[in-house]
Amino acid sequence: MSQTVLSVSHISKSFGGIHAVRDVSFEVQKGEVLGLIGPNGSGKSTLFNCVLGQLQPNAGAVTVKGQSVSGMRACDLNKLGVGRTFQQLSVFPEMTVLDNIILAGQEHHGTMLSRLFGAPDAGLTGEADRMIEFFRLGHLRDEMAGSLSYGQQKLLDAAMAFMAGPDLVLLDEPAGGVNLTMLANLKERLQTYNREHGTTFVVIEHNMEFVMSLCTRIIVLAEGAVIAEGTPEEIRSNSQVIDAYLGG
Amino acid sequence: MEQFLQVLLSGLATGSIYALAAIGFTLVWQAAQTVNFAQGEFVMLPAFFVLIAMNSGLPLPLALIVALAVSVFVLGFLFKKAIVEPMQKHGNGGGLSLIIATMALAIFLKESVKEFYGAEAQPYPPLISGGTWNIGGAIVSVTDIAHLAISLGVVVGLTLFLNRTRTGRAMQATAQNPAVAEILGVDTNRMVLYTFLINAALASLASFLITPVYLAKFSNGEYLGLIAFIAAIVGGFNQIRGALAGGLLIGVLDNITATYITAEYRAAIPLVLLIGIILFRPQGLLGTSEGRTV
Amino acid sequence: MNAIPKWLWIALGLAVLIVAPIGQGNYFTLILCSWLMFTIAAMGLNLTLGYAGQISLAQASFMAVGAYITALLTLNGIHWIVAMPAAVVACFFIGLLVGFPALRVKGHFLAFVTLAFNTLVVLVLRNEDWLTGGSYGKFNMPRPDFWIFNTARKSDVLGIALSSNQKIYYLCLITFVVFAALMYGLIRSPWGRAFKGLRENPIRAESLGLDTRRITLLAFAIGSAGGGLAGSLMSPVVQFIEPNSFALVHSLRILLMVVVGGAGYFFGPMLGAAVVILLPEFLRFTQGYYLILYSVAVIILMVYSPSGLMGIGDRILSKLRPQRVVRGDMKEGAQL
Repeated sequence: MSQTVLSVSHISKSFGGIHAVRDVSFEVQKGEVLGLIGPNGSGKSTLFNCVLGQLQPNAGAVTVKGQSVSGMRACDLNKLGVGRTFQQLSVFPEMTVLDNIILAGQEHHGTMLSRLFGAPDAGLTGEADRMIEFFRLGHLRDEMAGSLSYGQQKLLDAAMAFMAGPDLVLLDEPAGGVNLTMLANLKERLQTYNREHGTTFVVIEHNMEFVMSLCTRIIVLAEGAVIAEGTPEEIRSNSQVIDAYLGG
Repeated sequence: MEQFLQVLLSGLATGSIYALAAIGFTLVWQAAQTVNFAQGEFVMLPAFFVLIAMNSGLPLPLALIVALAVSVFVLGFLFKKAIVEPMQKHGNGGGLSLIIATMALAIFLKESVKEFYGAEAQPYPPLISGGTWNIGGAIVSVTDIAHLAISLGVVVGLTLFLNRTRTGRAMQATAQNPAVAEILGVDTNRMVLYTFLINAALASLASFLITPVYLAKFSNGEYLGLIAFIAAIVGGFNQIRGALAGGLLIGVLDNITATYITAEYRAAIPLVLLIGIILFRPQGLLGTSEGRTV
Repeated sequence: MNAIPKWLWIALGLAVLIVAPIGQGNYFTLILCSWLMFTIAAMGLNLTLGYAGQISLAQASFMAVGAYITALLTLNGIHWIVAMPAAVVACFFIGLLVGFPALRVKGHFLAFVTLAFNTLVVLVLRNEDWLTGGSYGKFNMPRPDFWIFNTARKSDVLGIALSSNQKIYYLCLITFVVFAALMYGLIRSPWGRAFKGLRENPIRAESLGLDTRRITLLAFAIGSAGGGLAGSLMSPVVQFIEPNSFALVHSLRILLMVVVGGAGYFFGPMLGAAVVILLPEFLRFTQGYYLILYSVAVIILMVYSPSGLMGIGDRILSKLRPQRVVRGDMKEGAQL
């Protein structure tokens, strides 16, 4: 019944003599919201970059919907149905919010030629407006993205990741630096999107509160290996996790 | 064989002068992320200061000193204070606008010389006028030997200064990591200024040595600037020894090409070398990919 | 100022351009031709540099390729209307090749590669006498005859006596208008948005499914084709081309046009080319000091408004409309 969207099997990655990731395996099913947490240097980012095809693991394989992502270019990964957000602000500052959103969707509509000779908005204005409204950026539609507040740009970044209707969205520290009101807004929007579209999320995050309330399942990494896996309640009461975070 | 030795030596001599300009270029790039498109004009101009000083009656040695001082002030101090610093203050440093500004500066220097001194090539007194030595059958020009010795001496001195003195090490720290240098109590702004002054001095020296070969002309900078860029990039954009090697290599290659291969496409060799290096070894022949990333 | 719609401004501008050469002498008419040609070349470079953020110092070499191909074909009896597309297509493909280094290096390194390319092209033009005429270049290229509109000789058109130079001006004007319309369409199209995406944040663009390699190459190829088009006009207009007309300094001049006008603004290159080409004519009284004054002005402009003259205009407009924040500084950062 359930359908595997992302499969990570026996991934290892070392830099020089340091094993950043050791033999990590997990699967993510359609509609799941998986959290990847761990203290600094636990290998989260390395793992994340292996999943994105940006780093080649020394061993193991990552497949998205059954396709290996090893060595895949970011644009091809996106075409395969993987959206992502960035840790740092990652919008197009000198373009309007609307143009940012249309750009996020246009490569998934029509051909090279239809994009040259067809409508300037690639027929996406309606869809883009719905996405802008969904993320409550409607009043900023025609503003330059660079003039938005930090939190608004984070929302815009998330909105762009969804514009192409992805099956899997990788969120790289979505809560970083966002104020509490904006954070509640972001979380609620992500949950609603997940419920309405059944999109699968993988979230890397430091903010425990955010991860615990957003995710359906959590994987804890420490020193490159998985030390715990389970629902937020299980993780909360896991003594190994508490030790890892307290440096025990 | 004798001819080859001569070609090699005179190539090295010219190359060592190119290296002076290339080293200055590299230093400024390292210290202030400033790609100076006017570097060629920085080499063109000091020779005219010498001519002006001599026209007003000074003997050559005194004229050289005056020209050096004026060059260091104008091409070092003023360049930094009037152009680079205001741009960086406005947050435009290091970008396209600074490249354009140095291009405009090149035009300014070139046209000023043309307007105020003249468009014709001017004879220029050689610093060293020697005959030739016969070493084992090879005719060797004393001027070449002297050029090579002076240039290499300056490079060695500069390296010692940068590595052995407190100021030199502070300058290197500034170039490598200005934030950390600042924390360690280095006056980074002053160190960057020193770099600009040294660049101007190196350019002046290159000017004094190379101008007797080309004659003093307002347009000399076009070719010299290109050669300095190429030498800096070929050797490794972030290293003194890289720029030195790059300069020597280009001097020798240029001479060998002209003598043995093709005179028409002589100027093409460094360009092809440049394209090849940038595409296949962007860190340069001697450079490492570490250091400050671009 | 905002009360007048944009199209009315454009119509007004066009009307001025149409009547501009009437009653004027050859000299003024040819200066206008020169402005139109360089505007086309600068608009091409503006796509590569201003919109897609890829610096190129080789635009004059594409003008050279366009001009020489057009000259060789038309001197051999082929009509300009056939030679021109051939030149443009050739420049498109050479531009594609020159774009490859941009996939590996950025910023000033790219500037040096393209600079070297320009210098190499000039060397080849100078040394391959059998094809290019060497340092003497090519001359007496025929002006095209469009049946009722023969640009090679003077005649009455719609009751107005037009000289050959005036007619070749109209050829330039028509080419310019068509090219500008195509560019406008391109910039508004999803391709244009993709070019800007490449300039502003290539990593984000790639993660949104944009093939940034392809977009980079296309930005170079289309921009170069613009250079080729300008060159193919130069051949019949000037009727004399030689390698020095396309030396590196001319690439720098075209770059200056783009930057002074305002990189990334549609009308920037037109303004920039006007400043570089027309202003010296009005400032003749300054004689040789013109370039000196000009270079000082460019330095000051770069210090205080790196987004060029259009940027200054934008700033004045944004003072009138305070809610809109203009951030030229961020664009600068994204370009290099």
